Amino acid sequence: MTITDKLRTPTDGPPARRRRPPASTGVYVVKVVGLTLIAATLVSVLPTVVATGQWGFLAVFVAVAALLVAVYSTRRAVPAKYLVPGVTMLLLFLVYPIMLTFQLSTTNYGDGTRSSRSEAITRIVGTSAVQVPGGAVYSLVVGTQGTPTAGPFAFFLVDTQTDQVFRGTQTELTELGPSEVTVADGTVAAADGWTMLTRQQVNAISGADQPLDGFTVPAGDNAVIKVQGFQAITMRTPLVYDKKADTITNTDTGAVYHPERSSSGDRSFFVDADGNRLSNQSWGENVGAFNYERIFTDSRITGPFLSIFLWTVVFATASVGLTFFLGLGLAVVLNDPRLRFQRFYRSALVLPYAIPGFISLMVWSGFWNQRFGLVNQMLGLDVNWLGQTWSARVAVILTNLWMGFPYMFLVCTGALQSIPSELKEAAAIDGASGFTQFRKITFPLLLVSVAPLLVAAFAFNFNNFNAIQLLTRGGPFSSDNPTAGGTDILISYTYRLAFGTGGQQIGFASAVSVVLFVLTGAIAAVQFRATRFLEDVN
Amino acid sequence: MSATPPDKQPDADAAQEQVLGVTGVRQAGGGLASAPVAGAAGRRPVRRSARHGVADQVRGARWWRELGWRHAVGIVAVVYALVPVLYLFSASVNPVGSIATTELVPRDFSLVWFSELGNNPQRPFYRWLANTVTVAAVVVVVQIFFSTLAAFAFSRLRFKGRRPGLLSLLLIQMFPQVLATVALFRIFSAVGQVVPAFGLDTLAGYILVMLGASLGQVWLIKGAFDSIPRELDEAAKIDGAGHAGLFFRILLPLLRPVLVVTGLLVFVSVIAEFMLASIFLRSTDVKTVSVGMYGVLLGDMSNNLGWFAAASVVVALPVILLFQYLQRYIVGGITAGSVKG
Amino acid sequence: MRRIMQTAIAATTVALLATACGGSGSGGSTGKATETAPVRGSQDLVIWTDEVKLPAIKAVADEFGKANGITVDVQAVVNTRADFITANQAGNGPDIVVGAHDWLGQLVANGSVDPVQLSADTIAMYSDKSVQAVTYDGQVYGVPYSIETLALFCNKSAVGDQAFATLDDAVAAGQAAKDAGKVESALNVPVGIAGDPYHMQPLYTSAGGYLFGTTDDGSHNPDDLGVGTAAGIKAGQKISALGQAGVLSTAITADNAIGLFAAGKAGCLVSGPWALSDVRKGLGDDGYTLMPIPGFAGMDPAEPFAGVNSFFIASNGKNKNFAQAFVTGTTSGGLNTVEAMTTLFEAENRPPAMTEVREAVAVANPDVETFAAAADAAAPMPAIPAMDQVWTPLGVAYANIVGGADAATEMTKAAETITAAVAKS
Repeated sequence: MTITDKLRTPTDGPPARRRRPPASTGVYVVKVVGLTLIAATLVSVLPTVVATGQWGFLAVFVAVAALLVAVYSTRRAVPAKYLVPGVTMLLLFLVYPIMLTFQLSTTNYGDGTRSSRSEAITRIVGTSAVQVPGGAVYSLVVGTQGTPTAGPFAFFLVDTQTDQVFRGTQTELTELGPSEVTVADGTVAAADGWTMLTRQQVNAISGADQPLDGFTVPAGDNAVIKVQGFQAITMRTPLVYDKKADTITNTDTGAVYHPERSSSGDRSFFVDADGNRLSNQSWGENVGAFNYERIFTDSRITGPFLSIFLWTVVFATASVGLTFFLGLGLAVVLNDPRLRFQRFYRSALVLPYAIPGFISLMVWSGFWNQRFGLVNQMLGLDVNWLGQTWSARVAVILTNLWMGFPYMFLVCTGALQSIPSELKEAAAIDGASGFTQFRKITFPLLLVSVAPLLVAAFAFNFNNFNAIQLLTRGGPFSSDNPTAGGTDILISYTYRLAFGTGGQQIGFASAVSVVLFVLTGAIAAVQFRATRFLEDVN
Repeated sequence: MSATPPDKQPDADAAQEQVLGVTGVRQAGGGLASAPVAGAAGRRPVRRSARHGVADQVRGARWWRELGWRHAVGIVAVVYALVPVLYLFSASVNPVGSIATTELVPRDFSLVWFSELGNNPQRPFYRWLANTVTVAAVVVVVQIFFSTLAAFAFSRLRFKGRRPGLLSLLLIQMFPQVLATVALFRIFSAVGQVVPAFGLDTLAGYILVMLGASLGQVWLIKGAFDSIPRELDEAAKIDGAGHAGLFFRILLPLLRPVLVVTGLLVFVSVIAEFMLASIFLRSTDVKTVSVGMYGVLLGDMSNNLGWFAAASVVVALPVILLFQYLQRYIVGGITAGSVKG
Repeated sequence: MRRIMQTAIAATTVALLATACGGSGSGGSTGKATETAPVRGSQDLVIWTDEVKLPAIKAVADEFGKANGITVDVQAVVNTRADFITANQAGNGPDIVVGAHDWLGQLVANGSVDPVQLSADTIAMYSDKSVQAVTYDGQVYGVPYSIETLALFCNKSAVGDQAFATLDDAVAAGQAAKDAGKVESALNVPVGIAGDPYHMQPLYTSAGGYLFGTTDDGSHNPDDLGVGTAAGIKAGQKISALGQAGVLSTAITADNAIGLFAAGKAGCLVSGPWALSDVRKGLGDDGYTLMPIPGFAGMDPAEPFAGVNSFFIASNGKNKNFAQAFVTGTTSGGLNTVEAMTTLFEAENRPPAMTEVREAVAVANPDVETFAAAADAAAPMPAIPAMDQVWTPLGVAYANIVGGADAATEMTKAAETITAAVAKS
């Protein structure tokens, strides 16, 4: 009624002449506040951006801010005013991650290859450091001659065995006499010209890329004094990296290690002359199209990939088809306006949909246990449901049916009600029986309105990660292929490649993700074409 | 008047009735472009009298043939739908709380698990629930609002690249965010360095990730826009309303049913999301129910079933009530958007 | 145009005012902060672990925090290991991660953890098995605190109060109870649909099987796989026989094995210390017996896996000094003290890795001592990355064998899969 009133009033009154009414004060205030927020945010993050060097973040922020100002400060670009908010979020948090995923797919990123080459070498050499047997252990206090964050710093050390006191810098270790320092409780408390740092202050400057990161005091015999908590210990590193030759030498054994491509083809390790690895650490590299080649040529991948793809299609089709027909059937049966308790039926049938999916799935996964599961108990069966590929697939689809039919029931009920009964009545007069009437009139009309939702449901189930992961985790597996399980769909398979315990292969998984993305889009396009949906988009 | 096809009658009354009919709040037709449209108000009384008159007279064999079997099917379906729900409820009131001792019909009745929900500081369930509600509320409001804005542009405004834009939107939406987890993780660890309030392990950051799907409901809402006759726009323009006035004051109120339904769909999907949450939210205090409950059940499945079931009941109950409360919108609202006017 | 200018000017004015006020506040404090301490995480020490271990870890970490006047945060992370590796690489990880020692292969390959430097005296405080477990590539990478392994629980009212000399005796007693209708299954060993190599290991080793041979220095040799060998196949056949006899079943899973036993529905149970509280709750403090798993009659002793829960120092942590001080500390608040290890034990009731604490609690906690004794006979779970390639195929082979498949075929198939995967990694 409000609309009617609103629309009637102007026609009764004088016709509106001005085409552009002035923007209201409200709009003006919104604009001012918006601009203010942008400016304030910019000013407040700027120092951190400078400190952390996240210039990319700044660029994105400025670009978005400029876009917002440009779009909302003019009277033009009306469509943009409505599209910019959603599209910005889409670009930042969906499209950009997709692009990053594509970029990752051209690398070997994963377990053992997360570091850069130089980081990996530093780490391999660094982790070989050992405490010198019988070497001195010192209590440690860090002193500064300047500020607590910039230095110059020195270690003030008290040998825990001999109580000798030293001052250590990165170049030398000097023994100090009793007159030069005050020692209390076995640690240096004060020294002339030096300010001693608190533990928190020391901790704060010891992280990665901080002043004390890598601060060592030479202790002779290739040994160094290094921080260990709030002590310092004498350590030596047997491994030495030769940059020119690109080899690592163990100075204890004389063994020389050189980088060599491993049989997996996408990474290298340092190995000795006999091919024994120095470490399982490798490093990140760009591998171009290697991951994509692997998907389509490596027989260990192509085999499972094809069969998983087929099962994914079957799973999605069966899930959509069964939920649709069950939902439709129930909708038709319960749609009779004379039916008592109709509201109760509808309320009860919606319940499975109202329970959050992850809860339903975890409960259902227990239902399928052979001996204690509800399914076998209630039906008096003894089927090892999740233990065999085909029964597990049936179980997955049946579970998904339970979870999905209420949605289809709602959809179909709505669609049925929007079909004018005049049509049915006309058909009835023409002598069509109930079923013919349904088949010839109701169903086609219903399909027109429901088809796009079916396609969307297909796309959803095609990538219904939770349904597989929470129910079967992709299993059952066969003993000759531990990466591809009987109920795996492409996305759960990909997830295992990327994050499974069996060696994370994120670069490779990203490549599969990209392929999966293309597949999903292609299949949806075909379906839309088949349902003539795209042509209708206006 | 109510039976007049809308294309010949730019009358606001007819327009309004048609909108309500399309969105399916009442049992009215008019959703299909080719079908003759009958006004909602005109037909309803007829239906109602038919319902009572006929139902009261049908008895015996005819009753069974026409209605009885429908009850039979309905009862079977209800049992199918309710058995797992019943099991969950039974587990939640089973004081032993293990899989082995839980049966369909509870033998013992105890609320010990429910009281446990609020008592264990390692598992602050109600904190998790509050977090979930926060995330869901923000995501629902923003996603529906942004989607509606975009749907308005796609439905009402004409601009270059509209159709390709719409189609590529459809395509991009199909990319599951789970597959971009590593990329998202990298992005947000960088964001967190500059603006810690939006970094990893914050609700705000997680909400931003969820907002990647800001345009997720454009399709359904655009369909609903399409079903509102353009004559309404013309009338509003004559009235002197600009595009904003048209959008906020005229069209938005008409869309309420479809907004409620899409909002509910988003709400349910946000509550159920756990994969990204498990990677983004680690501190006990910022977890959502899904990741918190998943962690508890994963920790010791055999003994935490009672706790999990009780938590499930507390999570599911409001959603169920919401569904019941909004049911009149839901039945029609889902399809309304996909029906082209 | 005029309107745009107006808006812009108004906004700029407001913005300047706002940032001037806000700026003086926040800018001033950051200025001060840089003088005392640069920007750092909200806590001085962040530890990640899982939901189950959290209370115990929190107890000792809080002690350390109190002793040093710092704030400590212990977080339960769902996929602790995987998330730790990712987060650590991104510089967003914790300072310390607590988990099982067999993570080490993956953690070291990713450069995610630092070796810890413990003095010989400190190392001597721990049992040899636990130190062996946290040693990888010759370096000690963690501080062990508890050692978990499997033992045999039996229901007194079903099979009597006796210590079984062989596993066959236990099975026979359970079978008799089952025949008498007292229980539903003789012996609960989790198998599940995916198989459970961890719980199967004592049976497999007693029947003569082994996973990997050892090299001269005692570490595991990925080139010597025992699964497909004659010994492995023979052990598979023993498992097959138990499956045929109905003793082993894929319906028994890690999720229900304990619950069923605690509910009095099984004669005996193969499980670890985590089952103790449920078993006591279900059968009463005196309703069960507990013993190290005996071997099969006339075969090898059972050698279950030992898992050693340990503290690891993250390589990219923000608070390395506090992390090192806590993990390698030998004085008040530090981890390598009797007090800290006792706190951990009291919160978690798992056999301590520190010898002195184990001896101290042995008398009052006979069950803990039984588990500790079982751990003495156990072998630390191999930490080599190749293990990841072993669990799934071996588990599936076990599940199939229990389900009735031919043992020789399954074990050979699993061996081929493992060999191929190990060679490729």
